[in-house]
Amino acid sequence: MKKWLTLAVLVAIAGVLACGLSALPPRDDAPPWRGLAMAYGAGNGVAAVVLGARLYDTLLEVLVFALAMVGVRYTLKPLGRHREPVVPERGVVREMADILLPVVVVFSLYLAASGHLGPGGGFPAGAIAGSGLLLLAMAKGVERLSRELHEGTLELLKYGAIAAFLVLGIAGFILDLRGSGFLVLFNLLIGVEVTIGTWVVLHYFAAHRGEI
Amino acid sequence: MEGLTAAALGIGLVVLGFGALALRRPLLWKLLGLNVASGGAILFLVALSHRPGARPPLVGYPPGTPSADPLPQALVLTAIVIHFATLALSLAYAVSLTERLHTQETERIEEEAEEEMAR
Repeated sequence: MKKWLTLAVLVAIAGVLACGLSALPPRDDAPPWRGLAMAYGAGNGVAAVVLGARLYDTLLEVLVFALAMVGVRYTLKPLGRHREPVVPERGVVREMADILLPVVVVFSLYLAASGHLGPGGGFPAGAIAGSGLLLLAMAKGVERLSRELHEGTLELLKYGAIAAFLVLGIAGFILDLRGSGFLVLFNLLIGVEVTIGTWVVLHYFAAHRGEI
Repeated sequence: MEGLTAAALGIGLVVLGFGALALRRPLLWKLLGLNVASGGAILFLVALSHRPGARPPLVGYPPGTPSADPLPQALVLTAIVIHFATLALSLAYAVSLTERLHTQETERIEEEAEEEMAR
């Protein structure tokens, strides 16, 4: 009985999604986004939508992201803290981290700085920098890295990035300022936010993983 | 045609994920199913932005070349990040629940919760 009900619901979901296929070709070309991209000083249609026309949406998204990270932090903090390292230390990882980390950091900065011109942007840049931190944590040990990255500074940076985003967005809206510089700043701020969020997730899942 | 294939694949992933969400018992399996369904939805939206012979929506291509629709792609950019954040939060809740009740079976978790409510 339950299986048939599940099957019916699944078929209904597939049917609803199949209705969306009417948006597929044969259809005209994409909407004229070139004018929009030019108006916001972007070379990339997606960046023009995310950081220009729907900037408030992106701001709320960054807020939701920060809120989820706060939730992760306060859910996992009461659980037991593990002293022993998550990953046993290996010489290979440490050597490779030395070689790879500069590349990862430079690539992430490049993506954040050129995200308005081509593929890239703040979110992938933040994810890449976060994976760089993961690499560093595997090489040095999560505990040691978390002692070296001061938590208070990270918190300040995290909320400061959101506040700067808000102020810049509102100022740009009121004074009617547009341009590539704004997009680069927004991308860098989003990158900082996502990097710190990724680090918080990694750190708390590794250090407070509880005992079954 | 590529768009149609990718959209069909996306629908398949969504159905698969929701099936796992409904039929599997352990909590982690359910979260995994939700994850797969979300991946399918993302693939579906990206497939909808496809046009025949489309290029990425970059200004660098000469005007007149058919380009993908940037709006669903921007939507997907949002969806991926929110997906990551909510998945992390739900996994954190799952860890905390498992720590307290020592089980991942959803039915036993419900029983324990009802007992706690009765007390």
